[in-house]
Amino acid sequence: MPGLQLRGVAKSFRNTEVLSNVDLDVAPREFIAFLGPSGSGKSTLLRIIAGLETADAGEVILDDRRIDGLPPGQRGVAMVFQHYALYPHMSVRQNMAFGLRNARVPQDQIDRLVEDAARVLEIDPLLERKPAQLSGGQRQRVAIGRAIVKSPKLFLLDEPLSNLDAALRLRTRVELAQLRERVESAFIMVTHDQAEAMTLADRIVVFNDRRIQQIAAPMEIYARPANRFVAQFVGSPAMSILPATLADGGTLASVKLGDGSRIDTSVGRDSLPAGAQVELGLRPEHVRVVLSGEANTEATVDLVERLGERSLVYARLRDGQQVTAEAEGTTTAKVGDTVGLRIDGAAAHLFGPDGTGYHRAAA
Amino acid sequence: MRADRLSPVAWALVLLGAAIMLAPLVWTVLLSLKANAELVGNSGAALHGPYTLQNYAAIFGTSQTMRWLLNSAIVSLGTTAGVLVLCSLAGYGFARLDFPFRRTLFVLVLLGLAIPSQAVILPQHQLFATLHLHNSYPGLILPGLTTSFGVFFMTQYMKAIPTELDEAAMLDGASRFRVFWKVILPLTVPAQSALAVFTFLGSWNDYWWPLISATRSDMYTLTVGLAAAQMNYAQTSGLGFLMAQAVFASVPIFIVYLIFQRQIIQAMAGAALK
Repeated sequence: MPGLQLRGVAKSFRNTEVLSNVDLDVAPREFIAFLGPSGSGKSTLLRIIAGLETADAGEVILDDRRIDGLPPGQRGVAMVFQHYALYPHMSVRQNMAFGLRNARVPQDQIDRLVEDAARVLEIDPLLERKPAQLSGGQRQRVAIGRAIVKSPKLFLLDEPLSNLDAALRLRTRVELAQLRERVESAFIMVTHDQAEAMTLADRIVVFNDRRIQQIAAPMEIYARPANRFVAQFVGSPAMSILPATLADGGTLASVKLGDGSRIDTSVGRDSLPAGAQVELGLRPEHVRVVLSGEANTEATVDLVERLGERSLVYARLRDGQQVTAEAEGTTTAKVGDTVGLRIDGAAAHLFGPDGTGYHRAAA
Repeated sequence: MRADRLSPVAWALVLLGAAIMLAPLVWTVLLSLKANAELVGNSGAALHGPYTLQNYAAIFGTSQTMRWLLNSAIVSLGTTAGVLVLCSLAGYGFARLDFPFRRTLFVLVLLGLAIPSQAVILPQHQLFATLHLHNSYPGLILPGLTTSFGVFFMTQYMKAIPTELDEAAMLDGASRFRVFWKVILPLTVPAQSALAVFTFLGSWNDYWWPLISATRSDMYTLTVGLAAAQMNYAQTSGLGFLMAQAVFASVPIFIVYLIFQRQIIQAMAGAALK
């Protein structure tokens, strides 16, 4: 099977397990983002694929060839490091040519490959410069160029945008998306920036606590998070999670919140586990600040963030539970006000006692 | 006032410092240019003429001086080259490779810093005698290659180089040795320059081991040879000649400094700023 397959990959450092029984399939030309908090194992997995760490167990297979026993240079992968890792004493040209020289590619071919890649990345005027004479963005391009010239089957990007300033990061993100269209390789990018993951990836792999929590397309992760962790980690601001009690009867679940309000969800009653205690998950866009007549509950405002086209209202329900709501950009709500909230129960998520997510039936 | 302009007081202090450091050197050179007989009883005669090069002529009059110069050059350059190779390899090993007893071995290396060479001179002498290495270049060079300081210095310097560079090179298909040779070693040039200067100076000025190991005059280094060529009571009756020897022995070091001035200053500044 072409592409990358991981089978039962596990890794411990001394007695601390950092990856446990990881399985993953990456299709050729697919762009995968590894997303997760620090220490969740995502970088370790990337390094295992690259050959910079050895897995304690499991297999890494690339295009039908088992590569976990091969040295990094023979795996057909290229990596862009977080701090670029350009060789400081070599010119841009030498940096890009180093891998090709090691592979004993003929010199005229090296020159052609390096110059072609430099033209694509618009770094051809910089070829004779040393890394110290380049800006952060230019170094980033050289690092990408060094990876491209080797025509790898798989690009590994370790937080490639984290060292760039906000404006450059946005531009480079667009360029990465364009690059991806031009090359035949698959991409795996480690990031803790969900915006990068959401905008670039075909699928996101969410890591936490040594395990893959969910593998799905970005909107699927957002709309149907597998569990409470994914629900809260993806989306900004985070989903509000409120303790709730299941009401009796009906094919769709209804829940009662701590402040007494009742929310009718679109989650199938049958799909839920036995027991009355659940948690209700609400994205801010599904909780609107409204006039009291349209409200199904009310809350006291703790903080208002005015973002221009909309405002975020951090509020507290009557039972003290915190909830994040959206309001018009022109809202007059201020700290200490009591406001009406309209909760869109049809878009709400439920989480069972073990954290598993339950959502409305897929459309 | 601009930061790079010195105040008059600072100028005065710098000049005073320079005078204090230069005075003994100037005094040595002046003494070396006076006839020995004139200096007996009154070394103050060095402050005025007539000056003469007869002491320098006398150095070359000793037939073996050029041979000793050659010996010193071979021993110092050989030691320096050997130290650079061994300390770079050992430094890379300690800084980058994971092997059993690495920490223990590194501690042993550091312990070497605390052991004076005099403490091991007897077994070392016997060992070299057993191996028939006395009165040979290997005999003069080998003891200088075991430098704890050099291994420690290169290890620390290489540890400061990001391991991402090694990893990038390995992903670029480089072997361990190629990573060392093409990526890490070129980045340690400042440290190598500093270590080379320290080693060369130490080896050039070494008197103790060549005095013991080289018993045949054709294997003397310059320091041993010149000392052996001194007549008795050199401090009084041969002061000019003694000073000429000192100047002569210092000239190669002075030349080394002139050639590598930039690297030496860079290395010292780099080491201080780290």
